[in-house]
Amino acid sequence: MKKFNILQYATLLIRSCSKKTFRIIRLTTLLLSVTVFNVFGGTTDSDYTNLNLNKETDPAAIMQQNRIIGTVTDEKGNPLPGVNVVLTGTTQGSTTDIDGKYSINISNGAKSLTFSFIGMKSQEVSIGALTQINVTMIESAFGLEDVVVIGYGTIKKSDLTGAVGVIKSDVISNRKDIQISQALQGTMPGLMVTRDNTDPGSTATLRIRGITTIGDSNPLIIIDGVPGGSIDDVNPNDIESISVLKDAASASIYGSRAAAGVILLTTKRAKSGDLKLEYNYEFGFEKPTEMPKYVGAVRYMQMLNELRWNDNNNTVGGEYSTFTQDIINNYSSLHTENPDLYPDVNWLNLILKDNALRQSHSLNISSGSKLIKTKASLAYDEIRGLYMMKDFKRFTVRVNNDITINKYLSASLDFYAKRGISDNPSVNPIYYGRLTPNIYAPEWSDGLVAEGKTGSNIYGELKYGGFKNYWDNQLGGKISVNLEPFNGLKFSAVLSPQFSYYKGTEFRKKIQYTAYDNPNVLVGTLVSLIDNNASTNLNEIRNDNYNVTLQLLANYTKSFGNHNMNATFGYENYYASYESLSAYSNNLTLSNYPYLDLGNTNFLQNTGSAYENAYRSFFGRIMYNYKNKYLLQGNVRTDGSSRFYKDYRWGIFPSVSAGWVLSEETFMKNSPIFSFLKLRGSWGTLGNDRIGNYPYQSAISFHNALMYNGSNVSSVQTSSQDTYAIKDISWETTKSLDFGVDVNFFKNKLNFSGDYYKKVTKDMLLALEIPDYIGFDNPDQNTGKMFTTGWEISLGWNDKIGELVGYSVSANLSDSRSIMGDLGGIQFLGDQVKYKGSEYNEWYGYISEGLYQTQDDVNNSAKINASVKPGDIKYKDISGPKGVPDGIINDYDKVLLGGSLPRYLYGGNISLNYKNFDFSLAFLGIGKQNVRLSSLMVQPFLQQFGNAPELIDGNYYSTYNTEVQNLAAKYPRLSFIGATNNYVMSDYWLFNGAYFRLKNISLGYTIPQQITEKLHIMSVRIYCTVSDLLSINKYPKGWDPEVTVSGYPVTTSFIFGLSVKF
Amino acid sequence: MKIKIFIILSVLLAFVACTDLNLNPLSEGSSENWYSDETEIEMSLANLYRIDFWPVDDDAWTDDWTFRGLTNPITDGTIDGTWSTLITLWDNHYKAIACANTILENLDKSKAIIPNELLNQYAGDARFNRATQYAKLISKWGDVVFYTSNLGLKESFTIKRTDKNSILQSIYQDYDSAYSYLPLSYGSSQNKRATKGAALAMKARIALYMGDYETASNASKACMDLGIYHLYPDFRNLFLSPGKNSSEIIFAIPRSVALGSYISTPSYLPRNFGGYIQLDPSWDLFCSFLCTDGLPIDKSPLYNPREPFKNRDPRCTKTIVEFQTNFLGIMYQPHPDSLICYDFLTGKYIKNNDTRANAQYASYNALAWKKWIDEKWTDDYLADPDEIIMRYADVLLMYAEAKIELNEIDASVLNAINQVRARAYGVDVNMTSAYPAVTSTDQTGLRKIVRIERRMEFAWEGIRYMDIIRWKLAEKVLNLPNYGMLDVAALRTKVVNMGLWFFPSTPQIDNDGVADFSPMYNAGLIKLLGFRTFYLNKQYLWPIPSKEILINANLIQNPNY
Repeated sequence: MKKFNILQYATLLIRSCSKKTFRIIRLTTLLLSVTVFNVFGGTTDSDYTNLNLNKETDPAAIMQQNRIIGTVTDEKGNPLPGVNVVLTGTTQGSTTDIDGKYSINISNGAKSLTFSFIGMKSQEVSIGALTQINVTMIESAFGLEDVVVIGYGTIKKSDLTGAVGVIKSDVISNRKDIQISQALQGTMPGLMVTRDNTDPGSTATLRIRGITTIGDSNPLIIIDGVPGGSIDDVNPNDIESISVLKDAASASIYGSRAAAGVILLTTKRAKSGDLKLEYNYEFGFEKPTEMPKYVGAVRYMQMLNELRWNDNNNTVGGEYSTFTQDIINNYSSLHTENPDLYPDVNWLNLILKDNALRQSHSLNISSGSKLIKTKASLAYDEIRGLYMMKDFKRFTVRVNNDITINKYLSASLDFYAKRGISDNPSVNPIYYGRLTPNIYAPEWSDGLVAEGKTGSNIYGELKYGGFKNYWDNQLGGKISVNLEPFNGLKFSAVLSPQFSYYKGTEFRKKIQYTAYDNPNVLVGTLVSLIDNNASTNLNEIRNDNYNVTLQLLANYTKSFGNHNMNATFGYENYYASYESLSAYSNNLTLSNYPYLDLGNTNFLQNTGSAYENAYRSFFGRIMYNYKNKYLLQGNVRTDGSSRFYKDYRWGIFPSVSAGWVLSEETFMKNSPIFSFLKLRGSWGTLGNDRIGNYPYQSAISFHNALMYNGSNVSSVQTSSQDTYAIKDISWETTKSLDFGVDVNFFKNKLNFSGDYYKKVTKDMLLALEIPDYIGFDNPDQNTGKMFTTGWEISLGWNDKIGELVGYSVSANLSDSRSIMGDLGGIQFLGDQVKYKGSEYNEWYGYISEGLYQTQDDVNNSAKINASVKPGDIKYKDISGPKGVPDGIINDYDKVLLGGSLPRYLYGGNISLNYKNFDFSLAFLGIGKQNVRLSSLMVQPFLQQFGNAPELIDGNYYSTYNTEVQNLAAKYPRLSFIGATNNYVMSDYWLFNGAYFRLKNISLGYTIPQQITEKLHIMSVRIYCTVSDLLSINKYPKGWDPEVTVSGYPVTTSFIFGLSVKF
Repeated sequence: MKIKIFIILSVLLAFVACTDLNLNPLSEGSSENWYSDETEIEMSLANLYRIDFWPVDDDAWTDDWTFRGLTNPITDGTIDGTWSTLITLWDNHYKAIACANTILENLDKSKAIIPNELLNQYAGDARFNRATQYAKLISKWGDVVFYTSNLGLKESFTIKRTDKNSILQSIYQDYDSAYSYLPLSYGSSQNKRATKGAALAMKARIALYMGDYETASNASKACMDLGIYHLYPDFRNLFLSPGKNSSEIIFAIPRSVALGSYISTPSYLPRNFGGYIQLDPSWDLFCSFLCTDGLPIDKSPLYNPREPFKNRDPRCTKTIVEFQTNFLGIMYQPHPDSLICYDFLTGKYIKNNDTRANAQYASYNALAWKKWIDEKWTDDYLADPDEIIMRYADVLLMYAEAKIELNEIDASVLNAINQVRARAYGVDVNMTSAYPAVTSTDQTGLRKIVRIERRMEFAWEGIRYMDIIRWKLAEKVLNLPNYGMLDVAALRTKVVNMGLWFFPSTPQIDNDGVADFSPMYNAGLIKLLGFRTFYLNKQYLWPIPSKEILINANLIQNPNY
């Protein structure tokens, strides 16, 4: 009763408010108040009965005499709540309650009722003279009847004409990844998921159908219809479904920003029925899958001696170039005598724990009445790190409300909040933990922090060096109001603001180390390996972003006999602003107050920046089908982007697609083999503008220079134009062509789906390499083309053995390859390039011809420089400035060495049910990838002091070796001087990084209902899950195929969980 | 009902606000309307003074340094067009050039509101910077890409290298124009930028590097004749706080720890202060300092290899820490039997971490830097010495060198050298009995003297690299090994116990002032730390960055790269 007042009050407020900003604030207040009221104010029907103030709007009052009632059950005879019951061809209808019962008022002329439910085959039942219609719903294989979420609407899967992939909620939640991006790995053909790193709480990079653009290839993420920030803003357990719009025809309704594909997330909403409460608890632990090994203290010293001896031309008598014979021969006894002076410590073992704990809690409440349906969830996830002070914690809250106001009006009101907390030590200890050799001491035997490697001690920094903590807060909401003046026509207005606030505190503490033999003598201060810092300093970061989306949509559905039509038109407005701020103080006197009021005013530095962008878009779509047999769809969207100059601002992105359901044709209708067969084809264009925020203007950026002012040094503000501006820069467009087939065989037990596509990207937004001597950074310009071709297939089998065992097996495989067209130049990316005819980011370097074995061979070969010696890698002299080999190995000898992107991505899933047990297994992998052995894997003595990988020991060219041993040696000689030659990019270091990974195994058991019922519990399920258990690959020993070499280890997680529903 | 729908619809439409799509940068300026007034032009000019654009050459590229015997791409001959240091330098030189050109091209915009005199000064400032950047380019790379108004995208892909001599003429013109319009000095409330003196001195430097001795002597003479520059009396303090911004400094870029511009110090500091002492003066440098009689160590009766710091040119112990002296409050003594040392600050003996008997990584050749370093360096391991680009002593020695090469040797030449030498001894140039004044007028003899004088005067100031390049000395000194002390046990038995500490014998010094340690090495009394390698058929010029060669087929790489 109060609620109506709140709504009215809010409505009035909004109307009376003239300024846009105030409007947003008011709206947020409204969102909050309604949500709070709805969640805490009770959710039973009786509370809301008074909402129906207008008698005439209550359908029950008008047409009581033409009412049909009934019960809907599943195949086992259990009542099915939440089934949609509508008068066929209209949107007028009702849903079933907790007991599967419904009642519906029918208007004159209504001929039949359509019953639909997600995952079930829709049914149409003629009314005739019946007043009661009971229906048994049948599960639909592979979700042909599923409603698929597409841009600004939904469609039945069988009516799809574009390439849209759908992932169901259980696939995501089974993975037990707390980030959706990671959970998507291997779930769908054409969706490439690469882990950014494997830190607790880390995310993954998503690519739809490979690479489409040189710039930002991140797909557009739409959360509940609103362009959102990150896919990881949503808790995986809140996901109802995920649709991936892969081809242009599906995505072009999002024209401007859809070039890299679109991912639509839909969150769970309440269905009709009584109050439901679900609680989930999980705990588990993580262990590194693999860890690389390094040589011990003595071998380290021997190898470093050998290296220095090599670089000193192997002068006789100079073998003990750095460490004396005495120390090497007696190291173990010296170590026993004095472990402080002669340490032998495996730093990484010291830094990393054996395992790290994790836990999650989540609570879901849903409740629904005819008028208000609410679903609220609250979740807390915590993953601890494998080293001290590292963990990730996250709270997510989401409340989705659906409100029926009257016969014509309905609304939805969603609200969500997220806080992610990432705690870290002041340094990432992994890289230097790997690099620091055993001969340095992290701690003295008295337990105090030691000198490490001459004042560089990553362990000391980790333990005593302070912290870097980040809080990522998000708050968002969405209100949509729907108006249906008559059946089939629907207007919606959607307003969705999103606020995010990011806070970081980076506090580094000064660490003094003592003499090993006297804890009272301070010898020096540890100097950070990462930033050369030795003092106590504090950096505070505050970022504040917000964006707001407004949509006005009109949708009209109409059927004329066998002609079915649906049209959507819309307008969208998007604005985003970003502001960042940081304040830094160095040389803090006290090292236990991480707040700026204790900052040293002599050492203060501030930075800040701000930018904004906006879009305005108009779009429309018409879908038509004849007898659900011939399907046609057309889209067009036009977008204006603030990123371009006003004369080049607007882009138009049309698309068409068509489908032919052959299985509906009479000649196939009763085929014993084909239960469903559809051919699809589509063509469309998409746009991309994601390159800087003001690329058509060359911004003047600000810096500082120091100058004498009198005899004082003062900081003077300076300005410079760092880039070229190209005023007519405009949209990059991608044209895409797709052919697909969807087939179900044998009563839908087996299904197959395949697609082949071609994409041409032109006017690519690209910071093309220009010569450095032009004096400006590479400017953004529209240049060049890229051609991508690819295919994807998926196959599934779904069946039962007897009554008790149900199982399904599915697998997918996809591939794509992008070839560069004429770019008007080259783009260099370290060891990779892009130029006409190359693959996207293709490896680029020398062709190797093994290791030089003799000085003669060295003398008679073309070389990079005259310091090359036997044991170094030999390269092929391919060309020179005149186009012929010039006797020197230089830039003219570099060639393309093969693509760097993964090929033949696959994934699969097996699931099995037996009585109360459920089991599932997921695997994934890639079939081929040219991967470079990184320096941390194979190059010894990085940064001159670093450790030597164990895998090269005994396997490198050495003057101590026999000729036969050297012929078999896999790695070049030990040398700093030779490193310039040996570790440049060449095919010597490429290998096939294909891998197979057993991603996930989970086993669950649902406690029989007879037992739980007595406890007034609806169901109890216990389960355990193991992720990333094993992988098969050719990576060097100790390296996981997905690890970032200097980053956090990939972990195997073991998770145990309990789920209780009331 | 209809009214209600209408109300709600109108509420919805009230949200329909169109965002303005004409958005401009919020926290940056726009090039569309920049350079419109004094403030904006001065900000743009100030950008040319960022320390990134003023790196001095790295002394690690020379025979003055040792990094425990480790080499770099210049001293081991592996330099090529992918060396990141080289790419960054090339990139920054041209960034500054484009920045200067942009200012010159836009000065007209504010003709109406800025007095002509000031506009000319701005132009002179920009041209001073442009000239200096081109001077650095041609001295390292020879012929380079040259332009005085910014390149269009298209022509940048086809442009060829310009002959270094014609670039040199343009550099002269820029310096001349800078000389005409820049002020002699700046007021006490003005930001100190380039001056007439700086333009003259920098012009002299590139002329000298290019072998144009006429121009070099004229420009340095003109700078001397300005009469505003003087040698700072105290050679040690010149490089510490008291000497900052003194009248010897013609052009420098300041640093300030507080303002976030500094260098990290542990690599140079003795281990008793928690330093790494890994970048040290080489024995080659140490032995190049003359004795107080003006003779090299192998000729002077004053030299004693057991006490190598005694009777040396005063700059020797102001550049390198003398053993058994108080350095920053702790006695520095790398002797293998000095297991403890005296701490003047606490008045106690402490463990001596600067002897290799106690610490494996103490200085490999026993030497430690002293120049530039004071107590501030041990405080948080950050220091802010000025980046001295040009000081008056250099002008004097450039003048002398140019006149010697022209064989126009007169009293002014001797006076120029003697001024520098007398200052080292802390005496007036006329007190010729108090220091070994130069009196010879023989061209060959003076050439040697001025070269050794430069080495003693400018150690660790980024001067040596271009000196050994232009004197074609690199092929000799960068092919000599780097030596240090024997390992502790052997050092005790073969050197210390035989009474041979520090140098077992006196190395011979050749005509270029280069010491020969091979007899000591062959006798097994010193240790080989590492080899240096310099390929004379290519390394006198640097390679053009690989990327540039690959992008523009018209750029021909320097020979043998």
